[in-house]
Amino acid sequence: MAAYLSMGEAHRRIGDYLARVSRAISSSDGTALASLLAVSSAPASTPLTDALAAFPDFPRLAGDRFPNLSDFLVPLLRTIHSHSLQRYADAYSSFEKAASAFLQEFRNWESPWAMEAMHTVALEIRLLAEKADRELTTSGKNPDKLQAAGSFLMKVFGALAVKGPKRIGALYVTCQLFKIYFRLGTVNLCRSVIRSIETARNFDFEDFPVKDKVTYMYYTGRLEVFNENFLVADQKLTYALVHCNPQSESNLRRILKFLIPVKLSLGVLPKRILLEKHNLLEYADVVTSLKRGDLRLLRQALDRHEDQFLKSGVYLVLEKLELQVYQRLIKKIHIIQRQKEPAKAHQIKLDVVVKALKWLEIDMDVDEVECIMACLIYKNLIKGYFAHKSKVLVLSKQDPFPKLNGKPV
Amino acid sequence: MTSHAAGSDAPQAEVIGAGQTNPSPYPPVPSGHQSWPSSTGTATVSWNYPVDKPSPDTVYYDPQRDVSVTGAESVGSSVPNAAHSTMGMENAAQSHVPYSNTVQHGYNPVDYTNYYYSYPQATNDSSVQQGANQHTGAAYQPLTSFQNSGSYIDPTSNTYYNAGGHQTVPGYGSNNYYYQNNSWNGGSTGNHYAQAQPYQNYTPSDTNSLQSSTSMPTNSLPYQQQYNQWPYYYNHSVPNASSNPATGNSTTDTIAVNTPSGYSYSSNQPPPPGTTSWKNNSVASVAPPVQAPGVPGPQHQYTNQAENQYSPAPVGPWSQNNYANQPLAFHHDTAKLNHAPPSNPEVQQKTVDSKGPSLNILSTNNVSENFQPNLQGSVTEDTSSERKIQIPTNPRIAPGLSMLVPKSEKKNLGADISKKPAYISVSVPAKDAKTAQVGPDSIVRKAIADGTIHTKNWDTEPLLTMPEGVVALTETGAKNSSPFLPTSTPRKRLKSRWEPAVDEKVTDKVEQIAKGWVNSNIHNSSDPKNKTGSSRNQGKFIQSQQVPLNKVNQRPAKKQKHSSQIQNGNASSDSDKEQDLTKYYASATTLANSPEEKKRREHRSKRFEKSQDSSLKSRNSFENNKDVMANMRTRRAVSSFLTRNSEEGTSLAVEDIDWDALTIKGTCQEIEKQYLRLTSAPDPSTVRPEEVLEKALAMVEASQRNYLYKCDQLKSIRQDLTVQRIQNEFTVKVYETHARLAMQAGDLPEFNQCQSQLKRLYAEGIRGCNFEFSAYNLLCVMLHSNNKRDLLSSMASLSKEAKQDVAVKHALAVHAAVLSGNYVLFFKLYKQAPNLNSCLMGSEGSVISGDDGLEECEIWLKAHGAVLLADNNGELQIDMKHFTCQSQRMLSRMVTHRLP
Repeated sequence: MAAYLSMGEAHRRIGDYLARVSRAISSSDGTALASLLAVSSAPASTPLTDALAAFPDFPRLAGDRFPNLSDFLVPLLRTIHSHSLQRYADAYSSFEKAASAFLQEFRNWESPWAMEAMHTVALEIRLLAEKADRELTTSGKNPDKLQAAGSFLMKVFGALAVKGPKRIGALYVTCQLFKIYFRLGTVNLCRSVIRSIETARNFDFEDFPVKDKVTYMYYTGRLEVFNENFLVADQKLTYALVHCNPQSESNLRRILKFLIPVKLSLGVLPKRILLEKHNLLEYADVVTSLKRGDLRLLRQALDRHEDQFLKSGVYLVLEKLELQVYQRLIKKIHIIQRQKEPAKAHQIKLDVVVKALKWLEIDMDVDEVECIMACLIYKNLIKGYFAHKSKVLVLSKQDPFPKLNGKPV
Repeated sequence: MTSHAAGSDAPQAEVIGAGQTNPSPYPPVPSGHQSWPSSTGTATVSWNYPVDKPSPDTVYYDPQRDVSVTGAESVGSSVPNAAHSTMGMENAAQSHVPYSNTVQHGYNPVDYTNYYYSYPQATNDSSVQQGANQHTGAAYQPLTSFQNSGSYIDPTSNTYYNAGGHQTVPGYGSNNYYYQNNSWNGGSTGNHYAQAQPYQNYTPSDTNSLQSSTSMPTNSLPYQQQYNQWPYYYNHSVPNASSNPATGNSTTDTIAVNTPSGYSYSSNQPPPPGTTSWKNNSVASVAPPVQAPGVPGPQHQYTNQAENQYSPAPVGPWSQNNYANQPLAFHHDTAKLNHAPPSNPEVQQKTVDSKGPSLNILSTNNVSENFQPNLQGSVTEDTSSERKIQIPTNPRIAPGLSMLVPKSEKKNLGADISKKPAYISVSVPAKDAKTAQVGPDSIVRKAIADGTIHTKNWDTEPLLTMPEGVVALTETGAKNSSPFLPTSTPRKRLKSRWEPAVDEKVTDKVEQIAKGWVNSNIHNSSDPKNKTGSSRNQGKFIQSQQVPLNKVNQRPAKKQKHSSQIQNGNASSDSDKEQDLTKYYASATTLANSPEEKKRREHRSKRFEKSQDSSLKSRNSFENNKDVMANMRTRRAVSSFLTRNSEEGTSLAVEDIDWDALTIKGTCQEIEKQYLRLTSAPDPSTVRPEEVLEKALAMVEASQRNYLYKCDQLKSIRQDLTVQRIQNEFTVKVYETHARLAMQAGDLPEFNQCQSQLKRLYAEGIRGCNFEFSAYNLLCVMLHSNNKRDLLSSMASLSKEAKQDVAVKHALAVHAAVLSGNYVLFFKLYKQAPNLNSCLMGSEGSVISGDDGLEECEIWLKAHGAVLLADNNGELQIDMKHFTCQSQRMLSRMVTHRLP
């Protein structure tokens, strides 16, 4: 179609688009403006992109028609054009210019009417940066656009995280920043943003939109997983899970992906149906090993899904479940002994443990087992003591295997 | 460059037109120049362009064109030149004092001192003039990095120098370039604006001086700049002078040779000029112009002398050339003064345009005034010379053009760079930058000396000539130009780095300065002709010439050093210039280590001290001092960048800087070197090349001395590698060696430094003991930092192959043991640790792992609050009730592992 597009028609279409943008701004119609700015979600070929291809002099047109908006419209048109040509790096560069111009104006608008458009800009700049980085990576160049988008969004955050009506939009930008930082692996940069959000006394966190709160809780919960603050992580991820739109299956799964390991480390095991429902069966073997005290199964599960777990960052959490598996193993032994000879049920010979581990194809000597037992006692997974000379673990007669009850190991 | 070419062309054209005695020499040039003449032809047309002044480029072009036009007008202009020369003479006399001041201030201080020193010599030269000039030329070659230039001279350099001499006319153009460069330098120092400021400063001082001696003041500005440049010019001039004397004796021959060579330069340089203006002028334009400028200054002087002495016949051509060069400037000035409608208006406009608004105008006005008197004073004396001068005027215009050209060059350079030859572009810019820097420094110093400087502007003019000479050298070393460039670039760096726009202004200023220079040169030349100024002028010239030689010698050496770095960078990119660069390198390296170099440095430092003392006196001194304080090298490097940037006419971000150009090549042969954290740009003479570093590493490995010594040595090796940007397997080896030593010594911070570097180097695909160090990395992260994310990413980044490696497997096993609290396994692994893994496990393991562990355990346990009791069998018992949790944990290890 583009080839048959007359110059006049192209001119008209571009002029029409520009007029709509201009009108949306002059009438403070944030929704309309936001839809006009959604560059990356547009299909590759639209009437506008065809027109831009047919009318290469569009920057001048925009500059002539709307000279006061030219620093915004010209790069915006360039973005749309480059994006339709799949030149994403160019598109990003242009869009950043347009976004800067927009941000400049946004700062001057007292009312937050353009919040929706600002959010679209924040989203678009991240999406475009990701596309641009993919393009740059494939062409062997340094993918630095996402980083640039991150620093731009920090500026946006600075413009929003102020007193006044605009603050309500800050959490959305924060979440976009989280997404960028998590993708770049620079999560330590999240800290300043979090501090700014959580220490603000002039704005109640609950006043933010629910969707932003859920996203925020999800990411901060993940951060707590990294820090192994399982209680806080559990709290945040649970908040996210509870408030998440129940229809949003993918988001529920994402939250559960981190919440399940956290819960496991707190001694709460999920039902298999939950894992099946959300397609999280990589945890199934882990759960089973915890139930059975099957150390080998745990190690196999970790090994099988190592890449996945390492990537999501739960590997270390799951690895730590090993002590719980030991505890379960001792408990099983204890139960069997109690059935055989109840009198000596609370005395577990370390040799028995070594033998049990050998059945699991885990080669450990008595010293190592003794060390593990000491650790279990120390971590309050077992109540009791062991007699070093006789190599016997003496369990407490009262609740020898205390439950974690939501307390981390 | 084009302007230079134009200038040379113009002279040639003039020669041809004049049918002077030396037509033969020129002929060669003409062929090369033909394009130039054509350009000049256009140039005449271009005069109008200058008026238009739409874009700097056009202006530049116009100047060249103007030059040609001025050539036509030359006669009238020549007279003004003469007048200027007289003025210049006076100024020079005054300026001498300023020089000292400037010297103190200066960056150029050394040069100045040299100037001072050189002055006596200069007198000698003057007496001998021809012979002296030759001598100077010889000295010249020996001195500086001039070896490079010398080499240049010999092969191409001869041609270059000759060209310079011959190109005196072009030289003016080059002078102009220098001026431009100077202005650029100024810009570089304080951004364009900063540059402008220096000028302003100058202007104030100038104005003061001007007020005192109104005509002079205006001159002073240009002159100051010229002063700064003088050294360069002197240097150039000296060579030129030498060549000139020779030419004077057998002027035509040398000239002829020079001109051809000059042309060759132009041809060589043309690419950089690449820009349209350059193209118009001729390919050779850029490099030739610079050389030509340098030559012109001296030549002018010489020519003046020659004219005075030899002017009659053989010299005629030279003088003409020189004059022609001068004429350009003079023409402008004179034209203005004389009111010669065409040339003057154009010149003024050009100057104004090119320069900053006010400063430029002032300078032009002042110049014009000065020139006018001069012109009036000595219009008739050198008719032939004047004619030639007229041609020179064109050259001057050319200089102006060159100024413009620099921009265009820069642009060209930028274009070149963009094309690919960052190096090429760099080298060209570097030249410009160098010249510019030199000019700026000198100017600044001059400015510092303001009052005196103003009066002494003439002296500064000589300095400027020196710069020109330097420039010529650099240009002659066009291939070598990179060295010069570095020097110049650093200064620019300071200011212009961030503000590319300054460059243009600088160029404008430079142009003005160059014009002023030209004027001064012309004045000098004309002065000799003029009865009154002749003796002074000669003496001054001689001095200036001598000074230039000295300066040239000194500077070349410096530049060579610096340039060598740049050259390295350039060399990589510019295949064409590589040969030259290599020559340059060799010369530079030799120079760097030469005693002369050291002396020069000492001189410099002394001058700096002086300059600091005197700084209070002059406004500029502050800046100068700062400059001085700042590392020359860093400045140069920076300035080179800046200049490049400026040349490109766009502001480049730091990340856009071509660090290749800043990379240095070490020349130090000492195997042992103490580590000292760099606070300035590295000095190639204290940096060891890779071969020496390899020896140094072997020495460290074989050394029996303690870790502190080895660490110091390894750090210095690492530093040398870094500043030379050597990143290969040897680099990896050095870091690995250091990392291992640090581990063994328990120097975790140093180990982490090495580790992070190794991570980067491995990521770049450089082979080393990758697996061994990824194991170290794992252990380090898991045992010595509490960052789970780092551990995760480290584990995630392990490849399948890595996981099969013994060391990595061991590290992962250690991780598992620690995580599950299996300390028995931990200590087993500790004992089995491959490589140096145990060192990283050490802080925990070492407590218990010794053979005498039991006693240590007792001590450790007691220190941690354990209550030890001896039971009936004498075996130790621990009272668990009084034991802390941490101690319990530790105990569990010990009990299971150590105690029977």
